[in-house]
Amino acid sequence: MAYVSMGEAHRRITEYLNRFCDAVSYQDSSMLCRLLSFSSNSPSLISLADALNVFQDASSLIRQSEKFSEYGEILAHLFRSLQSYRVGNLVEAYLAFDKFANAFVQEFRNWESAWALEALYVVCYEIRILAEKADKELTSNGKSPEKLKAAGSLLMKVFGVLAGKGPKRVGALYVTCQLFKTYFKLGTVNLCRSVIRSIETARIFDFEEFPRRDKVTYMYYTGRLEVFNENFPAADTKLSYALQHCNPRRERNIRMILKYLIPVKLSLGIIPKDELLQKYNLHEYMNVVQALRKGDLRLLRHALQEHEDRFLRSGVYLVLEKLELQVYQRLMKKIYIIQKLSDPARAHQLKLEVIAKALRWLEIDMDLDEVECIMTILIYKNLVKGYLAHKSKVVVLSKQDPFPKLNGKPVSS
Amino acid sequence: MNQGGNIQTVAPLDPNPIEKRYGVEVSQVQTSSYQYSTGSDAASWTTHRVDNQVVQNGNYSNSNYYHPQPPVPPATGNVQETASSSTSGTVNVGQDYSGYTPYQTPSDPQNYSNSGYTNHYSGYQQQQQQQQPSQSYPQQPAGAYQNTGAPYSSFQNPGSYAGTASYSATYYNPADYQTTGGGYQSTSYSNQTAGGYPSADYSNQTPTTSNQGNYTSNPYQNYTPDAANIHSSAAAATPPVHYQQNYQQWPGYYSQTEVPCAPGTEKLPAASAFSQSFPVTNEMPASSGQPAPSYAQPWRQETDSSQPPSQQPAAAVSASNDAYWMHQTPNQQAYYPVPPQNHYQSPLETKPFYETPIQGHQRATYPQELNSQSSIHQAPLTYRQPTQTTPSVDTQRVSKIQIPTNPRIASNLPSGYTKMDKGRSPAGATQTPAYVSVSMSNPKGHTTAMPEPGTFPKSLCGFVERAFARCKDDKEKASCQASLKKIITEATNDGTINTRDWDTEPLSTVLNTDVTNTEPSSAPISSLQNKSPTRRPKSRWEPLVESKPFVKSAPTFTTGVKFGGWNHQNENNKKSSDSFQKVDAVTGSKPSYYAQDSAKKIFQRPVKRQRFSSGSSTANDNDSSSDSEKDLTPYYSSAMSLASSADEKKRRDSRSKRFEKVQGHSRGNDIPKPKISNFRRGTALRLGQDLDESGSRAVEDMDWDALTVKGTCQEIEKRYLRLTSAPEPSTVRPEDVLEKALLMVQDSPKNYLYKCDQLKSIRQDLTVQRIHNHLTAKVYETHARFALEAGDLTEYNQCLSQLKILYAEGIEGCTLEFAAYSLLYITLHSNNNRELLSSMSRLSKEAKKDEAVRHALSVRAAVTSGNYVMFFRLYKTAPNMNSCLMDLYVEKMRYKAVTFMSRSCRPTIPVSYLAQVLGFAGTSSEGAGEKEIDGMEECSEWLKAHGASLIADSNGDMVLDTKASSTSLFMPEPEDAVAHGDRYLDVNDFFTRT
Repeated sequence: MAYVSMGEAHRRITEYLNRFCDAVSYQDSSMLCRLLSFSSNSPSLISLADALNVFQDASSLIRQSEKFSEYGEILAHLFRSLQSYRVGNLVEAYLAFDKFANAFVQEFRNWESAWALEALYVVCYEIRILAEKADKELTSNGKSPEKLKAAGSLLMKVFGVLAGKGPKRVGALYVTCQLFKTYFKLGTVNLCRSVIRSIETARIFDFEEFPRRDKVTYMYYTGRLEVFNENFPAADTKLSYALQHCNPRRERNIRMILKYLIPVKLSLGIIPKDELLQKYNLHEYMNVVQALRKGDLRLLRHALQEHEDRFLRSGVYLVLEKLELQVYQRLMKKIYIIQKLSDPARAHQLKLEVIAKALRWLEIDMDLDEVECIMTILIYKNLVKGYLAHKSKVVVLSKQDPFPKLNGKPVSS
Repeated sequence: MNQGGNIQTVAPLDPNPIEKRYGVEVSQVQTSSYQYSTGSDAASWTTHRVDNQVVQNGNYSNSNYYHPQPPVPPATGNVQETASSSTSGTVNVGQDYSGYTPYQTPSDPQNYSNSGYTNHYSGYQQQQQQQQPSQSYPQQPAGAYQNTGAPYSSFQNPGSYAGTASYSATYYNPADYQTTGGGYQSTSYSNQTAGGYPSADYSNQTPTTSNQGNYTSNPYQNYTPDAANIHSSAAAATPPVHYQQNYQQWPGYYSQTEVPCAPGTEKLPAASAFSQSFPVTNEMPASSGQPAPSYAQPWRQETDSSQPPSQQPAAAVSASNDAYWMHQTPNQQAYYPVPPQNHYQSPLETKPFYETPIQGHQRATYPQELNSQSSIHQAPLTYRQPTQTTPSVDTQRVSKIQIPTNPRIASNLPSGYTKMDKGRSPAGATQTPAYVSVSMSNPKGHTTAMPEPGTFPKSLCGFVERAFARCKDDKEKASCQASLKKIITEATNDGTINTRDWDTEPLSTVLNTDVTNTEPSSAPISSLQNKSPTRRPKSRWEPLVESKPFVKSAPTFTTGVKFGGWNHQNENNKKSSDSFQKVDAVTGSKPSYYAQDSAKKIFQRPVKRQRFSSGSSTANDNDSSSDSEKDLTPYYSSAMSLASSADEKKRRDSRSKRFEKVQGHSRGNDIPKPKISNFRRGTALRLGQDLDESGSRAVEDMDWDALTVKGTCQEIEKRYLRLTSAPEPSTVRPEDVLEKALLMVQDSPKNYLYKCDQLKSIRQDLTVQRIHNHLTAKVYETHARFALEAGDLTEYNQCLSQLKILYAEGIEGCTLEFAAYSLLYITLHSNNNRELLSSMSRLSKEAKKDEAVRHALSVRAAVTSGNYVMFFRLYKTAPNMNSCLMDLYVEKMRYKAVTFMSRSCRPTIPVSYLAQVLGFAGTSSEGAGEKEIDGMEECSEWLKAHGASLIADSNGDMVLDTKASSTSLFMPEPEDAVAHGDRYLDVNDFFTRT
């Protein structure tokens, strides 16, 4: 930490205080944002933090001037947080920031217009980031991480401030997104429901009026929620919305959306082009897509096994696993086509024996009972049209469209 | 405002006097300093009078009361008795009354008041000496002269008291700024009178402005000279702080309310300056704006920085005044004659009324007093901490004035915080012999306390407070005082009093000494308690409170000590010392003065504690914690009151240790210094906790180690009964017996209900004894398996959640087996994709190699894909108890399979095939004929039950008509379903339990 003289420290702090007060009085939101964004690690904030650590009695400075003392509570907590943040004591920094945020929100509530929304966004963002860092610190110290949870409740409070009518409502979606991020990280996804309900049932405010970036984020997270629920059509629309509206140059964001959209599309029978996977570096889906194309059950299983951890973590494992039936369907179709080539008259009769042999070629060992079971399921799920003659161990395919395409409809249960 | 009016009126008088005071008083005091001792009483009286005069309304009445009672008998009696030389003084006292008025008229009522205080103190000392010569006040023993002298020395403390007087003065000041100024001066005077003592400093300082500054410097000096004084000072130190606070508050009041005061003479401003000069003063305004109660909290926080205790006390006082005035007004007045009066006068017009009531109370015989006490008790209850805090003060007082004053005090106390006083007083009374030395210090402490606190370093004040807060009993307090005296004298002698880190000073020494002293008193206390008519229902905060009422009656009422002088005098005069009742009746009016003082102190302290969790908070915490402990363990409470000192000590030790362990604070008496260094931090932490002190503290403080039961029961079999109270060791089985019990249950041929019952009782015994080891895991595993076997999912879930905790603690068990169970459970029964995903991702590579886990994973795959063939194959090959969990899903899976098949297969499916595929009994591959038939029958039964249409084919074999069945299948209601949903509540099962 560079040495800072007392006078210099005093100067820096006073300058910051002046800027803060000016920003508030001129309603200069962008300046306020800069003054508050810890995680930006801007040099001015770092130097201020150094100054604060030198000049310990900043609160008296705040108190000295009436101008400053008006925001004394806000500033004092902010300073303390910044100090701790600079020193690396993240838990302390979080605690102080939490108090600051509370004070700030209180102040924000009193401001008639929504000019400080951007600053509030910054506060919401910082509190979440800080909480995550503090939790990391807590975990490394062997303590139970709980700060993110606390941040969640604070964000919920902020949401309450914004969710009503009026100009501030525009900010509600941003907070919602921060809440989503928090809840997803915490694994308490079910808490999202109340927020979603509040956003989607409020007819006073059209969803389209929210800022685009918030809409995209919101759709992304709600889409993910639908993936968990295996409600693929809904997930498809939400994620597609996110994909269509997100900034096309933000590849990372696009990739995040595609990570969920591709499995959803796959389960709806829509297979992406390889270029897409290439472009966005989604190699884990390559083999899955290949398996679907070829009806290669073994490939699918391998792909699932290979990326099991990743798929489990992102939550698409079960979705991908369900693609197995489509792979079977593809395999049947292939057999059917081959049979058709050799003996078109009896092509619509698939012997279980044949299917079992095909599977054996794929190094998948199944006896007839099991094959029969699979075929039963395929027929039941309408992936194969026809019937199974148990006695003769033959699947009799419908002569018309024996392998109906899903065409965007989910596999019936 | 009366005060304002008074002040104005007084002001004109004062200005001159004040100036004069400086000159005159100093000279007078100095010259008369010797006289002071003698004349001091008179002076004190006069002060009262002065106050009364100043206050006119309320004061008058108060003063009147006080004056008549104390002056005549006590002054004469004390002086005469103690020392011939001093007798003149005492005589003077008597005369003083008359003379006082003159004094007042002449120059400074305040000075008088101050002197009066000193006199009071001196009187107390004298009284004490007289009363407790056997106790031998170090200083006093010298004889009458010595008494006088001692009083003087003690007077120096009185000087501090003079400070108190100044308090009164300050209070008055609000009314009369001039007087306040005078009062301050007078305080300085008193210091001067102290003579060799820093009095000079006092005088010097006083003129400047800040009384506190003077006090601080002075007190130290004073203390150093006399060990006894030191003690008193120490004891006083805490109270003084309060006083200061009071001062501050009052000043704040004045400044706020009565700006006109400023116009007063130069001195007046000084007085105001005093109040302002106090760190507290800043806070004061706020407090002044708001009555005491609201103040208390804010004050504490603020005070922490500078003079927390003082501020708090002040807040407390104010609060108490405000809050209690209505109810306790009599008490307060009685306790703190001067200050309360002031308070009353200034703030409340009702003061006069109060005074009258007070008088009535005082006059009233014991019963009335008791009643008043009881009412007071209620008030104290509201201020739990205050009561606690008060005890220390009271004890001091008590120890000081043991015999005659006690009754009076008691009477006073009852009205105000009698309980506290009583409790302490009894202790003091019982302990009087042991405490003798203490008693000396106490009076001084009281008197001196006011001024001294300022002089002492805050940390020391905090230390003293802590020490006293520790004290549960009057005994302890007394002993604590004595030890504190020693410590402080030593410190002063060493010159380390300012340098020493009192915050980290261990309290153990103080407390230890206390213990010894306390022993003798215990028995008397108990007797007193039994007698006490007005027992406090809520003993939580003050265990000793119960005894207080007795204390009142008890002759030992040293609590009155401060006032004791007065009381003593009264008693002596009236010679009713033997009969408490008489004394009370006689002294009734007098005690009111003392009571007021004490009340002030009491209020102050309570407030401090409540709000001042930080400095003295530790002590408070201890108290509260101990109290809570008592509550938790009823036997403790009884023990507390009657407890022999040894028991108490043990308890205290254990408690302190507990704190060491749990909180890392060094509150324990025996805690070494280094630990204490955490003190502040701990206290700071506690601040937060203070909010829920009453509620959660109790639980937090529970000594789980101590409460952990060590079972003695040797019965292997035990029925489960949900505990409704603390477990009895005689019914709890120790670990080795539990092990046998587990084996017994495992081998038992009885049904699940019996086993469940037994296992639950084993679990209970384990929990109660806090056994967390492989046996615990084994019990839960066993129970979980039995529960699975019986399909008791609720019990299984309970066990599994416990097992997860146990495994997380690193206790070995069948981790993988239960991981498989958990996986199966989620797959088959919770149907939560997220949960399934997370539990799957949590499986380690090794875990996935485990047979059971692999099986579970395969089952999951089979279920998610609907592969019934695979499912039933896995069902047959399930390791461990996996099949039991699958059992619960079999029905669903079969139904699903039949639906699939009836939709997909045409035209028929033989039942034999279904029986084989759907895992009906005996359809295993080796399938002997009979078994197969059994399976067939069972399968067809099942199919029929589910609405399938079965027909016989050409061979006579039963086949499933899929087309017909595809629309007719349904899930029948489970046969064993019961209306209330829990088949284990079946009556027959219930009867078979035994």
